[in-house]
Amino acid sequence: MAAAVDQSNYHNLSFLDVDRTAQRVMAPAGLKYWLWVGFCAFLVAVGGSFWTRQIYEGLGVTGYGQPTLWAIYITDFVFWVGIAHSGTLISAVLFLFRTRWRTAVYRCAETMTVFAVLTAGLFPIVHLGRPWFFYWLCPYPNERYLQPDFRSPLTWDFFAISTYLTTSTLFLSMGLIPDIANQRDISIGWRKKFYSVLACGWQGTDRQWRNFSMAYLLLAGFATPLVLSVHSVVSWDFATMQTPGMHSTIFAPYFVAGAIFSGCAMVLTLIIPMRKMLHIEDLVTIWHLDSLAKVILLTSLVITYSYSTEAFLVYYAQDPIEMTTFYQRFFGHQGYLFGGMVLCNCLIPLLLFSPSIRTNTIWLFVISIFVNIGMWLERFVLIAGSLSVATIPSQWKFYVPKVTEVMITIASFGWFLMNFSLFTKFLPIVSMTELKEGVGWLRKSARNTYPYGKAS
Amino acid sequence: MSDGLSRRSFLKLAATASAAAAIPGCEPAARKLIPYVVPDENVIPGVPTFYATTCTECSAGCGVVARVMEGRVIKLEGNPVDPISQGAICARGQAALQGLYNPDRLGDPKTRQSDGTLTPIHWDDATKLMNGKLAAAAQAGKGRVAFIGAPQGPTLNSVAKAWGVAYNSVRVGFWEALSDEPAERVVYSTFGRHDLPIYKLDQAETIISFGADFVETWRSPVEYARQFAQFRAPKTRGGTLSIGRAAYVGPRLNSTAAKCDEWVASNPGTEGAVAMAVLNVVVNQGWVAANTGVNLDDIKKLVANYDPEKVSAQTGVPAEQIKRIAGWFGQATGGAVALAGTAEVQAHLAAYILNLVTGNLGKTMIFLDEEVPLEATWSQSIKGIIDAMRDGEVDVLIIAGGNPAYSMPPAYAFKEASKRVGYVIWMGDAPDESADLANLLIPTHHPLETWRDTAPRAGIHGLGQPVMQPVYRSRALHDILIASAHVGAGTAGQAITYENAADAINTAWQDLQGKIGGGSTPKQFWDDARRHGGVFQDGKPATVKFALEDDDIEAMSGPPPAPSELTLWAFPHIFLYDGRGANKSWLQEIPDPVTQIVWDTWAEIHPDTAAKLGLKKDYEQTRLFAGIDVIRISTPGGPIELTATISPLVKPGVIAVPFGQGHTSYGRYANGIGVNPFYFLPEGTRSVAVTARKLDKQYKLVTPLGSSDMMGRTIIEAMTVSDLANGVEPDFGEEKVDRPYEMYAPIEYAGHKWGMTIDVNSCTGCSACIAACYAENNVQVVGKANVDLGRIMSWIRVERYIQPADKVGDGPLIQIAPMLCQQCDHAPCEPVCPVFASHHTNEGLNAQIYNRCIGTRFCENNCPYKVRRFNWYAPEFVEPLNYQLNPDVTVRGAGVMEKCTFCIQRITTAEINARTEDRKLVDGEIIPACAQACPSRAITFGDINDPNSAMIKRRNDNKGRVYTMLPEFNALPAITYLRDLYQEKGKA
Repeated sequence: MAAAVDQSNYHNLSFLDVDRTAQRVMAPAGLKYWLWVGFCAFLVAVGGSFWTRQIYEGLGVTGYGQPTLWAIYITDFVFWVGIAHSGTLISAVLFLFRTRWRTAVYRCAETMTVFAVLTAGLFPIVHLGRPWFFYWLCPYPNERYLQPDFRSPLTWDFFAISTYLTTSTLFLSMGLIPDIANQRDISIGWRKKFYSVLACGWQGTDRQWRNFSMAYLLLAGFATPLVLSVHSVVSWDFATMQTPGMHSTIFAPYFVAGAIFSGCAMVLTLIIPMRKMLHIEDLVTIWHLDSLAKVILLTSLVITYSYSTEAFLVYYAQDPIEMTTFYQRFFGHQGYLFGGMVLCNCLIPLLLFSPSIRTNTIWLFVISIFVNIGMWLERFVLIAGSLSVATIPSQWKFYVPKVTEVMITIASFGWFLMNFSLFTKFLPIVSMTELKEGVGWLRKSARNTYPYGKAS
Repeated sequence: MSDGLSRRSFLKLAATASAAAAIPGCEPAARKLIPYVVPDENVIPGVPTFYATTCTECSAGCGVVARVMEGRVIKLEGNPVDPISQGAICARGQAALQGLYNPDRLGDPKTRQSDGTLTPIHWDDATKLMNGKLAAAAQAGKGRVAFIGAPQGPTLNSVAKAWGVAYNSVRVGFWEALSDEPAERVVYSTFGRHDLPIYKLDQAETIISFGADFVETWRSPVEYARQFAQFRAPKTRGGTLSIGRAAYVGPRLNSTAAKCDEWVASNPGTEGAVAMAVLNVVVNQGWVAANTGVNLDDIKKLVANYDPEKVSAQTGVPAEQIKRIAGWFGQATGGAVALAGTAEVQAHLAAYILNLVTGNLGKTMIFLDEEVPLEATWSQSIKGIIDAMRDGEVDVLIIAGGNPAYSMPPAYAFKEASKRVGYVIWMGDAPDESADLANLLIPTHHPLETWRDTAPRAGIHGLGQPVMQPVYRSRALHDILIASAHVGAGTAGQAITYENAADAINTAWQDLQGKIGGGSTPKQFWDDARRHGGVFQDGKPATVKFALEDDDIEAMSGPPPAPSELTLWAFPHIFLYDGRGANKSWLQEIPDPVTQIVWDTWAEIHPDTAAKLGLKKDYEQTRLFAGIDVIRISTPGGPIELTATISPLVKPGVIAVPFGQGHTSYGRYANGIGVNPFYFLPEGTRSVAVTARKLDKQYKLVTPLGSSDMMGRTIIEAMTVSDLANGVEPDFGEEKVDRPYEMYAPIEYAGHKWGMTIDVNSCTGCSACIAACYAENNVQVVGKANVDLGRIMSWIRVERYIQPADKVGDGPLIQIAPMLCQQCDHAPCEPVCPVFASHHTNEGLNAQIYNRCIGTRFCENNCPYKVRRFNWYAPEFVEPLNYQLNPDVTVRGAGVMEKCTFCIQRITTAEINARTEDRKLVDGEIIPACAQACPSRAITFGDINDPNSAMIKRRNDNKGRVYTMLPEFNALPAITYLRDLYQEKGKA
């Protein structure tokens, strides 16, 4: 192991160090930054133009057809919703468990959540045949007394996603208040005005701190069940379908585990380059990355178990149609996708058993990318794969994407990264408030020995 | 409105808004509704008018009824009083409308300039030009005017002949590429008659078909499909329940063979040898009836060379198989019939003798008293005309249909001969390859725009009347001919006494009344004929005498030739036939029932042959038939490049290629697709010895088909007749699900609850239902590329499965059944729609509200039957194909799911009519388009709540065969299928 790569003296940080580091991140950006943001915006523009064409000409411009009426767009949707989950897990659940390592990464994760949900929310609309009527999913009063059908999992989805977006946005923006107030106090010009609005008149009084803590706790408590519920609801889109390969009760827990798995991997993917580029290695240390890696390892084992259970249940039930679907999934025309998914989700994460890999940023980054690919493939195999070999063999057909949906998928990454990058420049991407708490706790705790680098 | 907007300002605003709306120019182009200035008393907007007429797509002469709305014909339906169609119609008949509304029809007369381009000219100039040329030719001598056209019915053919006489010529021929001439020639030489016998398949117990695809294209497919369904229906014969036994002899397993018990895979062109061998067994076994008037010694001499063992090598048919089918045939007590459909005469002769010696003449094969000769001119005379053209004896040639440049054998050298003709005039509705040879192109009416008559056989006189105003600025072909004779031919032309074609038909029908009687006055006779689409009588059976000349025996009794290693064998495409259907997008898009290939020419090759050619044996596990490897076939007439389709359904050593494609100037849907086998075939046969090699080239054939393997799922079930007789439920390896309770109460239907019974045993896969659905429901055609992406839009499809190799004998080799929305009670599509676009009506239909649909496509994902269709693009109906759209059915826009509605517009119309007339709906009043078109009557529609409905009765009468598709999903479909039947296990 490249031991002690991390020369951080995290526990020796002063409050001022935290402030300075965080503020340095938000200093006016250079050319490189704007080039990066511009590149992301370009991707969005390209994807947007493809989407425009798709709306204008019809979904025919994609590779969609019978019987894979759901494919890449729904895969993207589930993928981004899944990404969102770990953010809430880290920010809310781990908060309730008083897990100390979360402080440095939680803001990043929570930001990721909000933007991932924003991205995910676009895909059901992109996917629609008539996207201009997407609001019909929403129960609004109208003269024809038309309401959405509450038996449809898509209606549940609509509520799950909108609730989730609301809650995580609130949670994120409320947690920002003390940090923004900090920024407000040191800013001038338009930034001052901007931060003043967002700071909601924060003065740091004891009463405000007490209310803040209580509200934060309540919101964390409120967000926690969403970690389980939202992805369960998403999984029911598929589990309630009679399509072989999807009609399974295991889907809800399996999707939640998968979501946390992919989400933590996405946090790593984002935070490893970010801490390098923004020079916040002091705040987000190897210790944090190691902790995330452990969560990834655990959830990887959980989903490996889920895959085996799913296959075993099919084998045990001996339903011929399900058996065929699974045979096709494993060894069929697109069986290589399943192979790739097992490799990325079940085998490669096993490397994380090694502490030296867990503490090597390069390894972690590479593994996190594999996990992201693997989880995307998992959803694709599950959705397009199952649909392509459904109940009527004469209607089998395998889906091959065309440029439109590929570009829109790429654009979704551009959209996500653009938003995320803008956030890092204008709002504190690490929570100064909570880091300070953490610093204090570390300094005080005699029991806690910092396992990385030189302890002093 | 208290704050901001007062009543006064609201009114002001409203006034401004309406003023703005009234200003023209900022609006999209105004769509004006213009009422009839003088309304036609027969035209009530929204109410269809029905005109009985005849179908002219093939020579079967089915009676059809044209549904006309607001002056436009929107659908053709079978004529229920016509004895041939009996209310059914095939896919090609339906698609006649696409010929009528063909966007590539000729709008104006055109002349060809010296540089080869066409310029429109005025009608008057065109006729003047034509008459001048004709008059000059007629004056130059005898026979300097020639006419080659498609047969147009007895009266119009005689008009054409009279026209020829007026222009001093008898060179008038009617060309039919795949005509029944060989059959007629044999009838002429043996029975001395100029007609064909009619067959009663339903009166038989055994059928052997020597290359006659009688449920696809052979002679009268609608009639024979209906008879065959009755033949195959379980009946008590001799105390036991049985179905008719049928065998098909031919190189390829087509859908006729698929419905037979046995496919006798013979080498191409040896169907006749097999027939002779069967005859040999029948005669030598003494399975002959007494008093048939046949000299058995002659027959024995005739078939001496055709001992089954001896011809086995040449025909490729094992002797046991020949003996077996001969046994069926000879020992049939309840009637047997042999049919022949080959281009060679031998099979026809053997088949006639087979029917004759077994005493079936007059039972299953009948000659009627009145001889109705084939309309097509025998090839000898056609060749005479072409020879005269080549020798420069013809100054003016008129080509009027039949597309001889495309469909004549290269041996005729028609194109070369036409270059020697001074002036070539082409007349027709849509330009084809023959029009490319013409100096003058004259647009004529489509048959549905003209008067005509048909005489498919004795006793049947079909009357075709124009069903709408012409779509283009065309004229009736025979009007042009008559006028031309009157104007250009001088006194000789005056011999033609009719003013026009309608007059000619009318006169002919007055004569007919004189001959057959009926109708109190000529007018009443005429009106009745128009109302019924003709006059129909049972022809009286005639007594015929069979005589076999010695030289015929000599000519026919020689041993069959040795088979070649590789043979190209061409067969008529079930929809495109000889190529005439190629510019009809429905016919291009409906998958061939056996190969399921669309929009292309394919080369079917057996896996063994494919292995010899070095083709990959199994391309894609699930795409058994869509080949990709291109082979180069070297024929005596030149090389062909075709994509090989590897199929077990063809004889090894055969490359089976359908006719129909390979057009170069026949319109937008036909051009540039596939190859035309006519260009490569010798005269008088459909097979030719070839060599082939694999090219380093790939080309994708397109099919909507996924897997051909049913994988043991409850989609199409079949059972043996003995199981049916003994009341044994066949075991399909499916766990029988016992449902002691349901979580939800069953849905109660107070009024009607629509359902269907579909008899898989009757379905031949002819796809008439699909064409009917396209026509009735404005279903869009998506084209080849989109079919490849899985976007075919037809609401009803023909499911086609093949028994995998390890299960052959365990049921029919090919299983075919129509699949459409099952209109489930527990419809999986309904609860998943977030906006109630998919919902359940109170009559049990799974309705789809197009306006409400937002296109989540959840419904189709959850549909176990995969019968919903999504509009990936907005539909495009090229002018004037859009004239055909049914105004009762919405044209769906992009992004909307659509599906079978059980023709809800017909249900609603009938319900409204019943309500207005204050009566109950009568069973059979509502017939969905698919059930209406079905030639074999496989589909019955009705009210499940009415225990006396024909549909429920059909279920009850066939209790042992009832099943529903995919019952494990517990969707409770409203469609009940009746199982396919086969003879016994172990034999396909």
